[in-house]
Amino acid sequence: TGGHTTEILRLLSCLSESYSPRHYVLADSDKMSEAKIRSFEQKRAETFSESQFSLDRIPRSREVRQPWISSVVTTLYSILYSLPLTYKRKPDLILCNGPGTCVPVCLSAFLLGLLRIKRTIIVYVESICRVETLSLSGKILYYFSDYFIVQWPDLKKKYPKSVYLGRIV
Amino acid sequence: FRFKDSLAEELQSADLVISHAGAGSCLETLEKGKPLIVVINDKLMDNHQLELAKQLHRDGYVLYCNCSTLVETLQSMDLSALKPFPPGQPEKFASFLDKVFGLQ
Repeated sequence: TGGHTTEILRLLSCLSESYSPRHYVLADSDKMSEAKIRSFEQKRAETFSESQFSLDRIPRSREVRQPWISSVVTTLYSILYSLPLTYKRKPDLILCNGPGTCVPVCLSAFLLGLLRIKRTIIVYVESICRVETLSLSGKILYYFSDYFIVQWPDLKKKYPKSVYLGRIV
Repeated sequence: FRFKDSLAEELQSADLVISHAGAGSCLETLEKGKPLIVVINDKLMDNHQLELAKQLHRDGYVLYCNCSTLVETLQSMDLSALKPFPPGQPEKFASFLDKVFGLQ
């Protein structure tokens, strides 16, 4: 969604073509991100003509301020939905930055890793908006990600296993 | 004006921006090098939005007030005391990932 998409596209901006093809996963309710992504990829194709990407949509796992219990149910549903997608793509790397959408995708990849089907490296970058506290996605994925990146020093102190590279968006 | 796709044009021609604490608005404004006053809405407060505004203020990049103190702030503000906002460095992220995958 919105801010998350802008941030993640900035993160992608300096990546080489080794990080290709790129598969974007969006919430089905997200209207604006697709345009931003296509625009980004179009520009990219001007420099790297062989550049490839795809877009997939999954049901949104949680609405803002949705209560705990129903969130667990909708997230489980999203995980089940994500499993075939993750299985099909078998990504080497999952890069995410916090929208609820990323939790089921990461958890499904984590599961496929446990089942020895595909070992995916999960890199989570907490949003620049998060200075003192982690988002809910962050709190969950802190335990499931291979690399957890924060953008402010306070968070590095609170979450010692995180990586601090300064502001990267 | 309600939901224009982008305020980039307006931002470019502004001398001063007064905005809510949304991260997108704050960062877009700072990146364009415009002085910014962030107004916190005490009632609609989404605490996490406040974190970034507070930090930006602590670091000297923005001025900060709430609805009731806005006029006072406008009257007494010293915009020259605001520091220029350095851009983020996504190249550090790319470098980090390259190391993770042994691509350096």
